[in-house]
Amino acid sequence: MRRGVGLTLLAAALSVLVSSCGNGVIDKSTDGVPPAEATGTLRVLVPSFPPSTKGREAFQKVVDDFHKTYPKMKVEPDFATYKNLNEKMSTSIAAGIPYDVMVTGVGWVQPFASKNIFEDLGKYGVTPDVIKEKSTPALIPAVTYDKKLYAYPLVADARAVALRKSAFREAGLDPDKPPTSLADIKVAAEKLTKRDKNGNITRSGFDLASATGFRQSFTTFLAATGTPLYVGGEPNFDNKAGLDTLLWIKSMINNVQPYGQTNAAQQPLVLTGEAAMGIVNGGVDCSADGIGQKNCDDLKFFRFNSGKEIEYVGGDLASIGSRSRHKDAAWSFIQSMTKPTSLDLIAKLNKKVPAYKDASNSPQAKSNPLSQFVADGLVYAVNENEVPSNWLEMRGNFDIQLTQAVLGQKDPAKVLHNLAGQSR
Amino acid sequence: MSTTLERPALAAPRKVTSSKDSRTLIRSQARAGWALLAPALLHSAVFIVIPVIAVLVLSLTDYSFGDTWSWVGFGNYADLFRDVDFLASLWHTVLYAIVVIPISMAISLAVAIGLNQKIRGLGFFRTAFYIPTVTATVAVATIWLWIYNPGSGLANGFLSLFGFAPNRWLADPATALPSLMVVGIWQGLGTKIIIYLAALQGVSRDLIESAELDGAGRWQRFANVTWPAIGPVQFFVLITSIVGTFQVFDLVYVMTQGGPGSETRVLVMDIYQNAFQDLKLGYASAETVIMMIVIALFIGVGRLLQKADAND
Repeated sequence: MRRGVGLTLLAAALSVLVSSCGNGVIDKSTDGVPPAEATGTLRVLVPSFPPSTKGREAFQKVVDDFHKTYPKMKVEPDFATYKNLNEKMSTSIAAGIPYDVMVTGVGWVQPFASKNIFEDLGKYGVTPDVIKEKSTPALIPAVTYDKKLYAYPLVADARAVALRKSAFREAGLDPDKPPTSLADIKVAAEKLTKRDKNGNITRSGFDLASATGFRQSFTTFLAATGTPLYVGGEPNFDNKAGLDTLLWIKSMINNVQPYGQTNAAQQPLVLTGEAAMGIVNGGVDCSADGIGQKNCDDLKFFRFNSGKEIEYVGGDLASIGSRSRHKDAAWSFIQSMTKPTSLDLIAKLNKKVPAYKDASNSPQAKSNPLSQFVADGLVYAVNENEVPSNWLEMRGNFDIQLTQAVLGQKDPAKVLHNLAGQSR
Repeated sequence: MSTTLERPALAAPRKVTSSKDSRTLIRSQARAGWALLAPALLHSAVFIVIPVIAVLVLSLTDYSFGDTWSWVGFGNYADLFRDVDFLASLWHTVLYAIVVIPISMAISLAVAIGLNQKIRGLGFFRTAFYIPTVTATVAVATIWLWIYNPGSGLANGFLSLFGFAPNRWLADPATALPSLMVVGIWQGLGTKIIIYLAALQGVSRDLIESAELDGAGRWQRFANVTWPAIGPVQFFVLITSIVGTFQVFDLVYVMTQGGPGSETRVLVMDIYQNAFQDLKLGYASAETVIMMIVIALFIGVGRLLQKADAND
């Protein structure tokens, strides 16, 4: 009898302990409840706002706008980074408290939509025509899975190529005629590469922006030949164009740029003068706080064109969690995030281009020549295109195996064949 | 010389009631024992037994955080042995363990012997050797990233004094894993030194003096007195080192992310990648089971070596 009582007490104590570890309350669904009456916590996973004071202030403006419709809902942000996005999402699912709003990037939507983690936005009226009319059409393939749309674009993360006019002149090249094809870029890069007396590269001729992996640069260079990485989820790189592109990258690494070259600030090397030419992302700060006007004036921007003029465009894409108990509120929050004023804030914070119709006239595009250039070039947008549903796995596979091919550890043709076989 | 301790024979019960009292006493002692054990048992059940069972079950499924999953039997295990990343990770981990464990144990023992002498500044040296252990791995890794920096790092700066060409330590496939091993060895010294030091201070002075009187030299005293006396501690250090090196992750994550290519990819990194980046939790669970088996095998080998050493 006494033992039974003891065990019961122990069980009760444990229950109290366990329940006190969390708040113990799971929100009731607010879907169908009038917005003014809805209560609960909206959990938002968002890498678009840096967890700095400025980032938090910008996010609060979105929350304030959302509260005009849902005044009683609490918003709980998780300012993740793209590096830990998957961990955040997987652990939240495993813990049974998935996010209501999830902002991801190009290549995330298809894998998560195929696992039923994202909600089809068709029921909120999001169609390809709506995105064409109001947002960035180039990102439609990135938000589409099985002919349904699972995300709404927030900002476009566009990349261009930049050259240093002074370095070009010094090497006897004409900066007004930038090399755009892979072959011409290699010739120019070799002329622009500077070495010390021991033959070590002191200034790279071309920065491939591939410090940790060659997936994005391979995609970009391949697309410049008119060959998208995937078509309808099927691999399109295990061919002559793919092999030529990979061999070209191999011929550049440790020839015009040391493998793994990066700087402490993670800045594109051409902006800091550590490379004479190279890939840059979507914005540059020409003020004294940034690289300065003199450096800015020394830059010229152009796009790859090895048969097709292209601009690599990623982006921040907002989705609703399929297990959310506040789907209507989540959609309302996305609407608050996609208002032009909010998109301008996100674009400025991340040096990206707002994903609305007239991005070329956005404050971000007007703020610096690089953003203006990439905004004007969104019509040339390419990216991984319609990736297979195991893309999350393939991202890592690409990074590892392309590096092995570039460093001469594996045969490039076999690597491409292997990657094609692994895509499913 | 050996001494046998014999349990004194229990006196025959004089009365039935005293036998009853004794049983009651044993039962109450047993209850007290269970009560004292309960927190540890509860902890083990919640944080060890249940997760282990969950991992075993998950390893037989294709669970990937989605709505649906299915049993795949031993399919994940079969796939693992065809997975070049897993095989590379396993090999790198085993190599890391084989190099790091003996070298760090040997250096630690040597340093501990040094610190066991009556030398000046003993407190300073003990603290200095222990600091890497209490420093966060992320901080340690960041400092070593600077040391290995090809352009402005200390390692290349030092080598340049002797006319050596700069090396791209972490970016070169040939030197990336050995560079990590050096950090691993350095970081693990502190704990081992403290344990060895405690063991060395427990070695009987009488035995050492006896050996000295018998004419044993310094090496003979170490080999025949000190070494056998610290045998159990050696085994403890070996086991904790095996577990520690097989679980190396943070160092690799901060310094190389497993690269270049997969040259420094280790088992836990591969498990992390599969579970939380590729979202293949079932597959990663199978990998975890394999890792547990490999650690058990290594511990088994260590135990055999310890037994052989003790018999010698």
